[in-house]
Amino acid sequence: MSIFQIAFNNLKRRKIKMAFLVVGLVVGVATVVALFSIVQAMRLELGDRLDEFGANVVITPRSEGMELSYGGTQVSEVSFNVQLLTEEDLPKIREIPDGDSVNIISPKIVGAVMADDQNALLVGVDTKREFTMKPWFSLREQAGLAPGQKVRDLALLDIPEDSLLLGSSAARAFGVAPGDTMTVNGREFRVFGVLNELGTEEDGLMYGNLLVVQGLLGRPGEFSMIEVSAYCNFCPVEEIVAQLTDVLPNGRVTALRQAALVREETIDRFSSFGIALSGVVLLIAALVVLTTMLSSVNERTREIGIFRAIGFRQMHVMQIILLEAVMVSVLGGIIGFVVGNVVARAAGPFLAQMSVGVPWNTEMILPSVILAAALSVAASIYPALKAARLDPVEALRFI
Amino acid sequence: MSEVLIKTDNLRKTYKSFGDEVEALRGVSLEIYKGESVAVMGQSGSGKSTLLSIIGGLNPPSTGKIEIDGIDLYALSQEKRADFRREYLGFVFQQFQLIPYLTAMENVMLPLTTTSHSGRQKREMAEHVLARVGLAGKMNRLPNQMSGGEQERVAIARAIVNEPPLVLADEPTGSLDTRTGEEIMALFHELNSEGLTILMVTHNPENTTSMGRTIIMKDGQLCTDKAEILQLATRKAR
Repeated sequence: MSIFQIAFNNLKRRKIKMAFLVVGLVVGVATVVALFSIVQAMRLELGDRLDEFGANVVITPRSEGMELSYGGTQVSEVSFNVQLLTEEDLPKIREIPDGDSVNIISPKIVGAVMADDQNALLVGVDTKREFTMKPWFSLREQAGLAPGQKVRDLALLDIPEDSLLLGSSAARAFGVAPGDTMTVNGREFRVFGVLNELGTEEDGLMYGNLLVVQGLLGRPGEFSMIEVSAYCNFCPVEEIVAQLTDVLPNGRVTALRQAALVREETIDRFSSFGIALSGVVLLIAALVVLTTMLSSVNERTREIGIFRAIGFRQMHVMQIILLEAVMVSVLGGIIGFVVGNVVARAAGPFLAQMSVGVPWNTEMILPSVILAAALSVAASIYPALKAARLDPVEALRFI
Repeated sequence: MSEVLIKTDNLRKTYKSFGDEVEALRGVSLEIYKGESVAVMGQSGSGKSTLLSIIGGLNPPSTGKIEIDGIDLYALSQEKRADFRREYLGFVFQQFQLIPYLTAMENVMLPLTTTSHSGRQKREMAEHVLARVGLAGKMNRLPNQMSGGEQERVAIARAIVNEPPLVLADEPTGSLDTRTGEEIMALFHELNSEGLTILMVTHNPENTTSMGRTIIMKDGQLCTDKAEILQLATRKAR
């Protein structure tokens, strides 16, 4: 006979009460596990799918003086003391310590051109890289399609060297449609497609093949900017910016965190909501444990009196009550972990608008049990003290 | 003359009941010797159970002193007193007071729970005393699977399993039929003849026949009225 056996046998006897206790703990632990798993999955998804939010690092040539800007970044053409970004800079980007975190590198050149006797901005891009990085770009119309045939995904298209893509505003301004021809700086191009309207300044741009535009602008091998999509869960983008600044002294590296920030802010809000909700649920669970244990102690007054009379110290009585709490909490913690994961997997995609599923969060099993045990023990301290301090004479109604 | 095991000196106990102060004990002084069996009789409210609880280290007296085996019981801390109860005392309560979810064996092992004996030793000690009280074949039964007499035997086995020098019994036959009560008293008599000191509170004059000495309590005091003692002696003889 041991204190453990006494506690265990009592739990076996009071099955319904203990089941109620376990349910209280399961609800508390499951809520925490589910919310934690969802937030963790959201953060992982942010890392895995950041390319959907576009570039988060922009490298422009280092320069001095007055500069014109496009898209919030500098166009160095009219600056002085301009240092150049060239083909040689591209491999350096992958060579930084966090180079594994670099997803897509999209160099581009931007220049003012004369198109059909009008001034326009022409952007030379590697179309596959550019439109993989910016999936919100899509074709509204495409040349050479049979009636009823759908336009293709821009990120998968090879756009011919003698072709251009036009933003919706640009197409309207030039009065051209897919299949028409345009003269840009004296060279003839075919309009390959017109982009869907984005409502941004990009609607007024023309896009062409990177190498062709470099030649057209008389700047072969030169870039106006390099956009980089980089992210990892354990290194902040600022760290990547610092590393890129080290390897590219000729460039000015800027972090564009807006897209990630919006998502991070959403996650942070969800996380704060989760913490608040968890706190409330855990408080309720603690109250369930407290009332159930108090009621159990009240029912066992006489029994505790017997323990005290036959030589159990107050500490031994407390041990019995707290051991019961720990045993119940281990069960509650394990079941809560399983339920929390199931709920996270089932409800996560709806609650957090994630396109990927929530994975099984196996590393949460030990914290779940510890949380349940801590909650259960904390809520059982008062009942245990009450039991230990019971007057044995009163308990046995000796007088 | 054998040694004094219990010595009380002018024990008084007052407590409040519905705002009134009640004197449960009014200066009880007595000596009980090692190996004695003593019955305490008296009417309800005479203070006999209060005396038993004070001697049992469960209920501090308002004034006065009690020594068991030379140890001033209430000079000990509460926790040391718990240790003292475990080492020196065995309790047999009214209505058995067994733990319902433990078997006879487990109930008997309860006082050994917090001792340093190994699990095997505890089991052997419990088996020994259960056999001693005639329950060798019923060790794994729960209390509700046993008769009243058997439960009383389990309670006695629990009281003596740690081999205390003193057993305190409060109305041990109160909830038993006459024949079973006699069997239990015979068991107490046997244990006393083996050297165990027994102090028993009882209403039943028949129980006093197998006890060595009887103390009568009245209004919180030991009765010194010769007529009353004579009346009891007459009832005993019948």
